Amino acid sequence: MEQSVNYLGLIPLFPLMGAVLIGLLHVFTCKRTALPEKVYGILACIGPVLSFVLALKVFVALKALAPEARFLTHKAFTWFSVGDLHINMGFLADPLSCLMLLFVTFIGSLIHIYSIGYMGGDKNYGKFFAYMNLFLGSMLVLVLGDGPVVMFVGWEGVGLCSYLLISFYSEDRSNVLAGNKAFIVNRVGDLGFVLGMSFLFWGIGANGFDYLSLKANVQHLEPAIALTVCLLLFVGATGKSAQIPLYVWLPDAMAGPTPVSALIHAATMVTAGVYMVARFSFLYAGVELAGTIVAWVGILTALLAAIFGMFQDDIKKVLAYSTVSQLGYMFAGVGVAAYSAGIFHVFTHAFFKALLFLGAGAVIYALHHEQNIWKMGGLKNKMPKTYITMVIGALALAGCPPFSGFFSKDEILYSALATGHFGIWAVGVLVAGMTAYYTFRMIFVVFHGEPRDQHAYEHASEAPNVMTVPLIILAVGALFAGFLNLPGIFGGDQIVSHWLAPSLSEQHPHGNLFVEILAIGASVVAFAIGIKIAYGKFGQGAPEPSFSGFADFAYHKFYVDELYDRIIVQPYKAIGSSIWKVIEPNVTDAPIKGVSRLYMVLGTAFKVFQVGYVRIYALYMVLGLSIMSLLLSQSLN
Amino acid sequence: MFADGLFIMFAALAVLGAVGLVLFRHPMNGAMSFVVTLISLAGLYALLSAKLIFALQLIVYAGAIMSLIVFIIMFLNIQPDDLPKEETKLLYVLGGGILVVPIGLFLAKIVKSLPEHSTAIMGGNFGGVKEVGLLLFRDWLIPFEIVSLLLLVSLVGAVILAGKRGITK
Amino acid sequence: MMHCYLYLSIILFCLGIVGVVARRNVFTVFMSIELMLNAANLAFVTFARVHESMDGHVLAMMVMAVAAAEAALALAVVILLHKHKGKLDTNVFSLLKG
Repeated sequence: MEQSVNYLGLIPLFPLMGAVLIGLLHVFTCKRTALPEKVYGILACIGPVLSFVLALKVFVALKALAPEARFLTHKAFTWFSVGDLHINMGFLADPLSCLMLLFVTFIGSLIHIYSIGYMGGDKNYGKFFAYMNLFLGSMLVLVLGDGPVVMFVGWEGVGLCSYLLISFYSEDRSNVLAGNKAFIVNRVGDLGFVLGMSFLFWGIGANGFDYLSLKANVQHLEPAIALTVCLLLFVGATGKSAQIPLYVWLPDAMAGPTPVSALIHAATMVTAGVYMVARFSFLYAGVELAGTIVAWVGILTALLAAIFGMFQDDIKKVLAYSTVSQLGYMFAGVGVAAYSAGIFHVFTHAFFKALLFLGAGAVIYALHHEQNIWKMGGLKNKMPKTYITMVIGALALAGCPPFSGFFSKDEILYSALATGHFGIWAVGVLVAGMTAYYTFRMIFVVFHGEPRDQHAYEHASEAPNVMTVPLIILAVGALFAGFLNLPGIFGGDQIVSHWLAPSLSEQHPHGNLFVEILAIGASVVAFAIGIKIAYGKFGQGAPEPSFSGFADFAYHKFYVDELYDRIIVQPYKAIGSSIWKVIEPNVTDAPIKGVSRLYMVLGTAFKVFQVGYVRIYALYMVLGLSIMSLLLSQSLN
Repeated sequence: MFADGLFIMFAALAVLGAVGLVLFRHPMNGAMSFVVTLISLAGLYALLSAKLIFALQLIVYAGAIMSLIVFIIMFLNIQPDDLPKEETKLLYVLGGGILVVPIGLFLAKIVKSLPEHSTAIMGGNFGGVKEVGLLLFRDWLIPFEIVSLLLLVSLVGAVILAGKRGITK
Repeated sequence: MMHCYLYLSIILFCLGIVGVVARRNVFTVFMSIELMLNAANLAFVTFARVHESMDGHVLAMMVMAVAAAEAALALAVVILLHKHKGKLDTNVFSLLKG
């Protein structure tokens, strides 16, 4: 059933080696003459591209196998052994991880190529690419790991790299704080992940702790433990994939360079949570309550983020909230046990979100790092390629048929409706309309109307080819990726769902035609309404609005950051400072100070004997000798 | 009987010299009384039939080493003001004496436990130059060489230490 | 007679100790140490006579050689001391005072 192939381990190894190589080159040259940027750029792209080639090879190898036997494994070495437990540094490629592999390496490579242009002239060029390669390598470890422990290695790796890259422009303190926030919030989620992993191990870990063994033993897991494990793992997923209540780090993560945002949002990091839930689908499928909770958290996150997204004025923050919102969809999908729909949305989302971010990056690049959409406008004449590709991305994001986002989002909404989750479906449709609104609000404000900042407008120009070519490739992907999973109603046969089927434990709902048409119709109507409102308001150019009432509340993101600060951060600080000021000096330090004082007193007492004169020391020696003599002559009798 | 008389005389002189060494204030007086001790010890060695050691004690100790010490004392031209003022000397001597008593008694007790043995003058070549020399160069060759090395090292050390110049008070 | 020699050796040794402990004059201290060495020599020679073996003599010679070496070094130190401090007092070395 399993087939071992040794090139599996190379896939994450290439970017990791690239990271080490570039990092060393950077460290040894940054103080002296820096190497030309081309060296770094080419070195950095080799790793991801090679990984992509190998991923294709994996795909071909899997394709050749029978659907039920599509497993490729590779055990690199035994990581550690405790008693009978052997944790291997093992890799597993099945249809699910293969799909993830393909688009992660593909989009990762494109983003690397794009970065060559975007990061040009930065003095930490080498460092940037070392981190990027490390980021991609960690994500590949996460995807390819054959068990939760190896996955956790990658899980922590992407957390680390996101921290490093978000605070990449570390001269600015707020960027460093954003990096810290991402790292700390992720720690909260990671704690959940570790606890979930521990519970899982406690439950059924005795017979091997990789996915295949766990899947085989899952029926021995008690329901209560299964629910605990599911919820704890989901806490980990909320941290990594930015769901309520841990989504707050993702908008701040915009502090990093734009390609990093693209990488975080599209290919790596945030999709990890969805992937993890799909990976543990054998677990979630057995616990309906956990799935429902996941779905509701997801769809509420989608709603909340869509509300925030409607009122942002930073182009990257709009996209950030759209990501949070789309991730909510994905969780809604995996929550209602439509794992393939969720993963398919991850897949299509990777294309159009990478496209949108890279497009936004091109705009920012053209305007010399201006991110406020109310200082842009009318750019479609200056940057036609960027404009067209971004419109394609926006249409895909908004769910316009036949762009890719439409199919994947519709699949999720249809699954929700078909499994009887009307609430989720209704909110989902509402969010679809809001998505269309805020996406095209951004497009109209940035590209249409009159230029708001004449000076910047005149200096804007189309980005270089190294940046636009990836945009075009991604635009093609965003256009056609949806057809890979064409539902039956349009004459397709859901290739992706069938491909993923062996990896996932899902039953496809057999809804009737009416339900399907209802779902599609509602989505399309919501899209149309959203885009119409956006056009009406911003299509001909609009001044920068001032917010009041609810809008102001939403503009300030419902003051969630402030709330977290008030109820979590400040109490912690208060506890910390009270420990520092009250408990530490009086309780913990007291015995230590007492001991040191005791020694000081003893020292002062014994100082008397240290007179410093040699003959007095001789006297002590004689004294000791004479006492010894006395004792010895006693014993001599 | 004659030998016993000689022993008593030499022993008394040696002890007297040692007491003088400990009590005299000026080192020159101490050195002179120490010479008395050394010479009486040489006499005692003779009584113990150690012919070579008797000669060496006179030549090396009483002769060379003591003359070196006396020479240095005179070289430094010590005035009474240079000497440390030891007002509590007697007190210290008394205290030291009391401390030393148990050690002496302990050692005496050990000596007492040894069987008594005659030390009458031995005839023949015992302790002669030839016999000791043979022993020294056969059985004790390596320690002898090591000691010669030690002497060399101390010679060099003394030259370096005393030869330092340019450091003022 | 052997006991008498050894008692004398002990007496001289103890006097040497008293000299080291009680006096502050460097020369006296130094000569007291020599006195202790001589006391040991006396014991060596006595035992050599008792056992009628001359190893004790050889050892006594060694002690003399060591005493000579010590004398050379110690006197060099005394000269240095006198040069730097102008004193012959062992109490000027008091860096170890607590």
